Amino acid sequence: MKKAPRHEPDERLSATPPKKWAAGVPAVTHALEYSLEETTVRRTATTLLTMNQVAGIDCPGCAWADPAPGHRHRNEYCENGAKHINDEATARRVTADFFRGHSVSELGRRSDLWLNQQGRLTAPMVKRPDADHYEPISWHDALGLLSAELTSLDSPDEAVFYTSGRASNESAFVLQLFARAFGTNNLPDCSNMCHESSGFALHETLGTGKGTVSLDDMHQADLIFLVGQNPGTNHPRQLSALERAKLNGGRVIAVNTLPEAGLLRFKNPQRVRGVIGPGTRIADRFLQIRSGGDLALFQSLNRLLLEAEDARPGTVLDHDFIRSSTSGFEEFSRHVRAIAWDDILAATGLTRQEIEQVRDEVLGSKRIIVCWAMGVTQHRHGVPTIREIVNFLMLRGNLGRAGAGACPVRGHSNVQGDRTMGIWEQMPDSFLDALQREFGFDPPRAHGLDSVNSIRAMREGRIKVFVSLAGNFVRAAPDTAVTEEAMRRCRLTAHISTKLNRSHTVCGRTALILPTLGRTERDIQPSGEQFVTVENSMSEVHTSYGRLDPASKLLLSEVAILCRLARHTLGGKAGIPWDRFEADYGAIRHHISRIVPGFHDFNRRVARPGGIRLPNPVNEGVFATATGKALFTRNAWDMLRAPEGHLLLQTLRSHDQWNTIPYTDNDRYRGIHGRRRVVLVNPSDMAQLGLLKGQFVDLVGVWTDGVERRAEDFEVVPYPTTRGCAATYYPETNVLVPLDSVAEISNQPTSKGVVVRLEARATADGLPRS
Amino acid sequence: MNTIEETIEVAVPVRTAYNQWTQFKSFPRFMSTVKRVEQIRPAVTEWVIAFGPVRRTFQAEIVHQRPDSSLAWQSLQRRPSHRGEVSFRPTTPDRARITVRLEVHRRGVAALLTGASSKVTRRVLRDELGRFKEFIEGLGQESGAWRGSIHNGHVQPTEPEPPRSRVARWPVG
Repeated sequence: MKKAPRHEPDERLSATPPKKWAAGVPAVTHALEYSLEETTVRRTATTLLTMNQVAGIDCPGCAWADPAPGHRHRNEYCENGAKHINDEATARRVTADFFRGHSVSELGRRSDLWLNQQGRLTAPMVKRPDADHYEPISWHDALGLLSAELTSLDSPDEAVFYTSGRASNESAFVLQLFARAFGTNNLPDCSNMCHESSGFALHETLGTGKGTVSLDDMHQADLIFLVGQNPGTNHPRQLSALERAKLNGGRVIAVNTLPEAGLLRFKNPQRVRGVIGPGTRIADRFLQIRSGGDLALFQSLNRLLLEAEDARPGTVLDHDFIRSSTSGFEEFSRHVRAIAWDDILAATGLTRQEIEQVRDEVLGSKRIIVCWAMGVTQHRHGVPTIREIVNFLMLRGNLGRAGAGACPVRGHSNVQGDRTMGIWEQMPDSFLDALQREFGFDPPRAHGLDSVNSIRAMREGRIKVFVSLAGNFVRAAPDTAVTEEAMRRCRLTAHISTKLNRSHTVCGRTALILPTLGRTERDIQPSGEQFVTVENSMSEVHTSYGRLDPASKLLLSEVAILCRLARHTLGGKAGIPWDRFEADYGAIRHHISRIVPGFHDFNRRVARPGGIRLPNPVNEGVFATATGKALFTRNAWDMLRAPEGHLLLQTLRSHDQWNTIPYTDNDRYRGIHGRRRVVLVNPSDMAQLGLLKGQFVDLVGVWTDGVERRAEDFEVVPYPTTRGCAATYYPETNVLVPLDSVAEISNQPTSKGVVVRLEARATADGLPRS
Repeated sequence: MNTIEETIEVAVPVRTAYNQWTQFKSFPRFMSTVKRVEQIRPAVTEWVIAFGPVRRTFQAEIVHQRPDSSLAWQSLQRRPSHRGEVSFRPTTPDRARITVRLEVHRRGVAALLTGASSKVTRRVLRDELGRFKEFIEGLGQESGAWRGSIHNGHVQPTEPEPPRSRVARWPVG
């Protein structure tokens, strides 16, 4: 176990060739190494051996599903899950002394890495107006201060309540209930920035907001597409499912701008062939596509399938399914047939032969799943792309059938559940009516603000109070300078957090840090020890029991903080039993069971091993769309372009990173060590742009508003990215993503396809620095 | 590939016999080799079967299902270890004939049923059908029913909003 670092690490890059396989023994050693730097052997053993087990701790990392009870491995976690959970279980502590020794201004100059490494927050703190230090405050006074600010607002809509995907179902339900009883639907969440495009596209076309496949479907598929996702780093346990699909004879096609290690080969450290053998090849075919070319790719595949049907009528399309369960086929068919090959090839950067080979794979496969993640959703045409994927699946009846379907792969453990619990600024009247019936108050009906609109409103001074349930909003949000300015305009910002992050340093005039229990920790309330529930990416709702002693005796659970805040703010208004909620989370679940469709008998059913598998209407033959049928859509062809001398930039995570928090400066799979401010550029682009390996550049964003957005001091690394497409890590480069650059329909920030130029940084003597 | 076919006549109307057959979870109540059945979706079931000391779990997809007429399934492996069809025909208004046709490979889950030979499978199948007959005739009426259809693995429910489809449907980001 190491102490928290006092100084920032030296940023000195060492680049090695990118890895061609993921996991293996190094994954185990790195996970243990990081865990044991953070905490003790005993706590590491407790977290790892109970993680993702029945009645254990649900990994607060990604939202990938667990195998059924009885089929789980003793070590049912991945390298990044192990790092994530022990990052929370760390023995390091941030105390009042720490804040006495570090001003807010000084902390604001610290890196995300350094802030995170200081350890767990232990007591409530306040930064008073005009002060530059946080100071201790009692829970009573902290919540009284926040409540007084809320009740002094001219309108409840001057407050926003943000949620991160770490929040449990119970705390999410309580938060939205409090916000609505208070009088606002301003409930932005981290989903607004990750899979919002998926939710809108699936809801419009299929009448469901969620993916349609289960882990069993993954195992049973003949062909799996991995589009714009990097399972090796962001959902490593998906690799086990892909391995099983491969061993069953399935095939995988990866579509990406980077040849990520986890897309190429997986060495499962829990199998002999993964430890001393060659592992399992993941992608049978790798399409190195241009950034944003996925829409054109699926349009071309759809066109080819229609043409194959013309050539061999009755053998390619699932006419029965199309006829009985869909609408809009003829219009879609006419539209997609008219898309020109030149446009397709230009947008994808692929050859026609490559696409036709994929068509042949599709024709040879009866069960197809398409998985996707941020590489699709964070484009301006993310929604049309996903709608086109749905078109593709429907043509051959690959929806609502075993081994087939749509699989948005979500990156935060309860991001799906939080939305199910009503964390959305646009909840339908049916949900609000149910709240009204259950609790006897009239919830506001006007739609609230999502993340982008919250920032706009804060910037304009329309939002006075910002409350965050977990997360690191300042770093997750786009257009860093704008977001920071917006946050600083608030009268009060309050963060319910486990660890220090930049959102505590870029804050309102008054700021509160409300430290909370982590998911790893025992949560004891008057009725006894509590568990919480979460919903994974495959709609399975299950329990999570904390196992460790809390980091501090002063920590309150998220539910307790929210219930106390509600009591302070609302008193007895609406007759909501906040006391009972805090004392017994079963009481919250009881109300959830009466309000959220599909959660009947919640307490009893979720206590069963494995919990509840929520059905997906699509698999029940129900399409709750405007027409009552699944919808074929016409999506306008689109192509991202960068002017001469510019590149299309995507922001991404390093391997040693969890969302906005880096664990180290390394990115092992991509061969980047010791520095995060790097930009990965194709060697041909480097030659054309006159860039040298190791040269230092500023990344300068190009956007229609004429504002110069600059990310400074990045080192150029030659990398086999798609020609014309560069990559770099977020959150350092969120500064380049304009707030107004959002995906059509979903209003999701476009952190992919950012147009940039690379400007050489001059040294004192005027020469390029390299 | 072995094909085995067995027929039995039951003294209940065809609708009663068919309805009872759709209640897969109840199969362990009367079939001795079926230990547990989970209905994952209308078209996907998971079966635990045991014969002597051997125990196997497999999932099956219902490929086609027509009320009061037939139901065809296949095991859900890439190369199905078995597939089958059960058909229901009325012989009189109060009696029905049930025919089960099973195609089994000599490997995988089906080996449990086939044992060493198709003779054993045939006997097991005949005995299990006999138990179904005993069960449904003893009850005289079905314990439940699912009246939807399935075509190429796609479910077509009878009602616009079957209970299992009543879940949160709003967009999830």
